[in-house]
Amino acid sequence: MITTELAIIGGGPAGLSAAISAASLGAKVILIDRSENLGGQLIKQTHMFFGSQKQYASIRGVDIAGILMKDLEKYQDSIEIMLDATVISVYEDGVIAVEQNEKYIKIKPQSIIVATGASEKFLTFPNNDLPGIYGAGAVQTLMNVHGVAPGKNVVMVGAGNIGLIVSYQLMQAGINVKAILDASPKIGGYLVHASKIRRMGIPILTSHTVKYAHGNNKLEKVTLCRLDEKWQQVPGSEFDIETDVLCISVGLSPLTELLWQQGCEMKYVPELGGHVPVRNDNLETSIKGIYVAGDVAGVEEASSAMVEGRLAGLCAAKALGYNSPDLEDKKNDCLEQLNSLRSGHVGEKIRSGLSKVTV
Amino acid sequence: MNNTASVVIIGGGISGCSIAYNLAKKGVKDIVVIEKKYLTSGSTGRCGAGIRMQWGTEMNCRLAKFSTEFYENANDILEYDGDIEFKQGGYLIVAATEKEDVQFRKNVALQNSLGIPTVYLTPKEAKEIIPHMDETKIISATFCQKDGHLNPFHATQAYADAAARLGVKFMKYTEVTGIKVENNKIVGVQTDKGFISAPVVVNAAGGYSKQIGDMVGADIPVYAERHQILVTEPVNPIQNPMFMSFSLNIYCQQTPHGSFIMGRGDANEPRDLRVTSSWHFLEEMAKDCCELLPLLKDIRVVRQWAGLYCMSPDRQPIYGKVDNVEGFYLATGFSGHGFMFGPVTGVVIAETILGEKSSLPIDKLGMERFAKGELLFEPSVV
Amino acid sequence: MLEKTGVATEQDLQKAIPSKERLAKGPVAIIECFQRIPCNPCYTSCKKGAIKEFEDINDTPEINVEICNGCAVCVSNCPGLSIVVVDETYSEQEALVKIPYEFLPLPEEGSFVTGLDREGKAVCRAKVVKVLNTKAMDRTPIVSLAVPKDLSMTVRFMKLNDIYSDNTFVCRCEELTMGELRELIRKGFNTIDEIKRISRAGMGPCQGRTCRQLIMQELAAATGAKMSEMPISTFRPPVKPIKLGTIAGGADHE
Repeated sequence: MITTELAIIGGGPAGLSAAISAASLGAKVILIDRSENLGGQLIKQTHMFFGSQKQYASIRGVDIAGILMKDLEKYQDSIEIMLDATVISVYEDGVIAVEQNEKYIKIKPQSIIVATGASEKFLTFPNNDLPGIYGAGAVQTLMNVHGVAPGKNVVMVGAGNIGLIVSYQLMQAGINVKAILDASPKIGGYLVHASKIRRMGIPILTSHTVKYAHGNNKLEKVTLCRLDEKWQQVPGSEFDIETDVLCISVGLSPLTELLWQQGCEMKYVPELGGHVPVRNDNLETSIKGIYVAGDVAGVEEASSAMVEGRLAGLCAAKALGYNSPDLEDKKNDCLEQLNSLRSGHVGEKIRSGLSKVTV
Repeated sequence: MNNTASVVIIGGGISGCSIAYNLAKKGVKDIVVIEKKYLTSGSTGRCGAGIRMQWGTEMNCRLAKFSTEFYENANDILEYDGDIEFKQGGYLIVAATEKEDVQFRKNVALQNSLGIPTVYLTPKEAKEIIPHMDETKIISATFCQKDGHLNPFHATQAYADAAARLGVKFMKYTEVTGIKVENNKIVGVQTDKGFISAPVVVNAAGGYSKQIGDMVGADIPVYAERHQILVTEPVNPIQNPMFMSFSLNIYCQQTPHGSFIMGRGDANEPRDLRVTSSWHFLEEMAKDCCELLPLLKDIRVVRQWAGLYCMSPDRQPIYGKVDNVEGFYLATGFSGHGFMFGPVTGVVIAETILGEKSSLPIDKLGMERFAKGELLFEPSVV
Repeated sequence: MLEKTGVATEQDLQKAIPSKERLAKGPVAIIECFQRIPCNPCYTSCKKGAIKEFEDINDTPEINVEICNGCAVCVSNCPGLSIVVVDETYSEQEALVKIPYEFLPLPEEGSFVTGLDREGKAVCRAKVVKVLNTKAMDRTPIVSLAVPKDLSMTVRFMKLNDIYSDNTFVCRCEELTMGELRELIRKGFNTIDEIKRISRAGMGPCQGRTCRQLIMQELAAATGAKMSEMPISTFRPPVKPIKLGTIAGGADHE
């Protein structure tokens, strides 16, 4: 059994930031990620990030991953990285079971930061299993990581930031986005993203949903319909769009299995994407020594995930006995950044969600 | 702009352009055509653009024959780089009353005597020419294969281009606001862009020629009458000749382009300069057309519009000088047929201005005929 | 409504568009960012201090157009790509619109592209005057488009293929190509009605719905005439093609 001071599960923006800040205080860290490289969703993000300089605003997601990786190298003596390594469970005694390259490995850390992120929600409609119907994350991976076009024409479901951004990236890749629809009467994503899409002539159909998918062996056509004020389908409003790809981006749910296994206190908070852990200001869950950061703690933007990671890393290291003269300042800076990122109109939902789970 | 000219022609329709071309061809320099909007913006560009030689008076038959023969070769004569799209699909004119049938027999004899190859047909024979016609509504018909249709925009442009090559100046978007007369002689034309001194002015202003005449105190006995027309979407060729009836009040033709153009007269049309469209026309036209040519009922109307007929008391043109105003010439009163008479108008007016012997006996078409009561009433008008 | 459509309304834009006087002085940034979101690179990237310091990161930007010299640094720094620079002093007839363009291939300088409005509708032919793509711009190149002056507040994006090239159909009903249209304009057919009559463009079943605007734009481009002052062709009934039999049937029931 491998022992370490801090195990961080998930090497996305939150996990990476957590590893760096914990190691910067001196903690010994094992960073575990199930994919072959670190960075999580960041490496698929070819767009410039929002936020302020502290969250790498105006820099592209993929480059932010690069910056974080460079920072990580500074602490290569204290951080051990495990890639292609899937945490299959966390046991009552805090032992983490990992499967890596068909090997079963056990790790016994003193503390854990869970930064597993979130998974995509899906939609139910007849034939939603036809090849050609993808989640937005899969489309991004195909396109931006492997350089593979998912098809020729795309209908995007969901006008949140992910739906809008992936649509833009599809167009950049030369794939025709025929329409973006959203069940909500309003566009959920940032309006500047929406405007950017509209300038390319892509219609955004609010108050619309998918009714059927059609095709033999693969997607050929989708039937859409309009929704009324009560989100009910309007009879007779159906129309068809021919397409070989339907991309679904209707939101994310926090990947919380490991927290449930640990017995962390969980609460259903729709504003944060589903069940999320109750946590204190230090991002520590109801179980001592288990911290959370990023989407697993509530679905938000990558900018807040990075700040949360940094904060969780600092707090976990401090609990392990590490310190530095400016630790409190650093912690307060993180809290301030989070407040500011969540302070606006768009952050309203997040604030209301967090108020229900922060103790 | 030119401030002097030898001849100012008022009106940039087929008549004005044809007159300008013929004068220039005969060597006249410094000709100016003044057009209030753009070439063909008046009645020329609004007309049905049919050409027929089947008339009821010798004069009209001869004017029409002269013009038809010109249009047959106009692309070459005018060295036009486009195509005037002249199609001689014939005119089938049907008689629906006994009175009409009697008149038509006379017309055919007259036309044949002038070398116009019209034939008299039974309803059954007529149906062979337009199979989708309801022949039960007619008594007889006449048919002349040499009648036809052409594109009024290109025909006018062909004249205008040829005239321009011969030095004629065209002033578009220029409105005549007055004509200066001194000692009963034309001195020049006042426009909204300035004054042009000229000894000769030709009134070829179509629906507006009454107003132009008033500027020199010539009381031309014409009035403008609105006529409406509609066009359908283009479809495959199904009707070669023009279908026309005076008593049933309809003309309907498929253009080479494929669209059907149809129109009718209406005694209640306003006699002013209005060119708006009415639903009465659309409905009545559609109804009559569907009755007589039922096959057309599924073709869609894409546009309706209106233009002005410049009506003269006897439905024949008014050509020539005006008493007491030296230098003022008329080419007006075409009563709906100015476009098809365009070629002959240009020739005879040019001859008149230059004092040459006229190719046709147009002295009978002078304005004096109304004072003398020597009218040449044309029976065959829609 | 912006929230529903993603397209800024007149009202939204009023806040963003500088005065005529300012536009007459030279290039200036136009920031079309109307929603409070946590983002401030426009402020931090502006070396001139033309953008007011954000009290709250969610503030929408406030620009002092008297300080802004239209340097366009903010254009490639804005993650929302919501900033353009407009220079109405570019020439007598044309304004320069500098847009962020993150697509490959980049247009070639001197080539013509299609100018698009905020809904992606083609509105004009635009000449690519400059393509700036420095390292500092980090893959958000800036394309400078020369557009008819009265479209300076309309053109906000571009499409690479020049739909205004000579072999594009302007009037699909009557099959008039852009090249033929240009030839007609060159010959002196300088109003839409003249073009309509000589070419039949606009006389087809669509009643000019597609070609009217395109012809007017081309006239504006070729003659320098202002779209706003141009005579428009007559809108004749019926607005939509209707069968003769339908009309005849309707007349019967009266």
